[in-house]
Amino acid sequence: MNLRPLLFLAPVILLHGMACAATTQAEKRLQTAVNEVLAAADRASNLDALQASLRPILLKHISFDAMTRRAVGPGWRQFTKDEQKKATELFTTLIIRSYSSKFTPGERPVITFKTATEPAPGRVEIPTTLLYQGGHYSVTYRLEDSEGWRITDVVIEGVSLIANYRTQFDAQFKKGGANAVVDALSQSVANP
Amino acid sequence: MKLQTSLLLLAVTAAPFLTSCASRAAKQPAPAASATVGDKKSDGKSAKSTEDLDEYDAVSIADPLEPLNRATFWLNDGLYTVLFRPISKGYEFVIPKPVRTGIFNIFENVKFPVRLVNNTLQGNFKRVGQETGKFLVNTTAGVGGFGRPSDHIPALADVPDADTGQTLAKWGVGHGIYIVLPVLGPSSLRDTVGVAGDYALNPVNWVSIIYGGYSWIIAIPSTNTVRALPSQMGIYDAATKNALDRYLAARTAYIQYRREAASK
Repeated sequence: MNLRPLLFLAPVILLHGMACAATTQAEKRLQTAVNEVLAAADRASNLDALQASLRPILLKHISFDAMTRRAVGPGWRQFTKDEQKKATELFTTLIIRSYSSKFTPGERPVITFKTATEPAPGRVEIPTTLLYQGGHYSVTYRLEDSEGWRITDVVIEGVSLIANYRTQFDAQFKKGGANAVVDALSQSVANP
Repeated sequence: MKLQTSLLLLAVTAAPFLTSCASRAAKQPAPAASATVGDKKSDGKSAKSTEDLDEYDAVSIADPLEPLNRATFWLNDGLYTVLFRPISKGYEFVIPKPVRTGIFNIFENVKFPVRLVNNTLQGNFKRVGQETGKFLVNTTAGVGGFGRPSDHIPALADVPDADTGQTLAKWGVGHGIYIVLPVLGPSSLRDTVGVAGDYALNPVNWVSIIYGGYSWIIAIPSTNTVRALPSQMGIYDAATKNALDRYLAARTAYIQYRREAASK
């Protein structure tokens, strides 16, 4: 039996298999992140403790480098290395604080994963529905394969975390370049 | 021999895909490296997606009234702090959560004409059916809408909301300009018309439209406002807390949120 003609299907099958592998890996990563966050939220008795215990978990699963770079946009190229580092550190603190404040200790969200898509190689979007305090919310996680799969954006009811900061960073950058962005970030971090 | 050739062929044909997969695992360039990447026009297509700094550029709206809008925004912010938040907290303190949820549900259920009319105007008859089913189930089995048994029926559990602004968006009407409404907050020219439509379609407002402002009548729309306050304050805080510029944060969040609503 000559199977050779079928070999032309091989790339298709392989490609499909890889796409699946990518979404599966990304889903696994998100599932781990979600489980760790929920476990930490269950243990914490107040918001400060929650923030402290969430920090290492989020640092592990979220690519804050990519997040900051995207949120700043093309202006990022005009940041010095030091300014980039400073901006990333401040933005990380701000995001972790903002994320932690969305939890009410003692209330457990129910998260349902929907079918993940791969909009581009190395990128996966995982839509989920969140049932929290009686409300239904659509939350989409964007993940990228950089050093393993990492979360790079969270889109709540269509509102992207990165896009939201992008407009604000843009305004600051136009006002006074990298300095203004870092200053505004420092101010926001200093004033909870 | 034949098998070897086949394997070779397989390897060769699969090679591009294997490398494209491997490149995903490649490390992202250091920030400094991306500094050499050209601007949007020159690198738009060739740049690897992971390096693209420009993809989040799209969220904008004309805001010629910005100075006035900013003033209204801060006025509203003050109003929320001195009036709405205390009322919201008081309501949460006095009324136990299951009752609050029930009251919330009743008013959402009563809003049925808003969803019915707009789904009809959008030509979405599947949702007209779903909304009607939801209304009947929740009004009867849910005792006047207090409970939401429709949540346990898969076909009725997750029906996207419909409102007049969304209908206009689906008809191709653009936002026009950004407007911060007194008390109500972020809106646009189009959505302000939408808000008026929703107000007229909501039975909660019919009694006061027909009978005027007697205090016992005012109680109904007032309860409607108060029952929604905790969640609205929550949304407002989520969008504006930890922002660099709270006005811009609210505006960007609003535009994205409405774009999502129009796409559902």
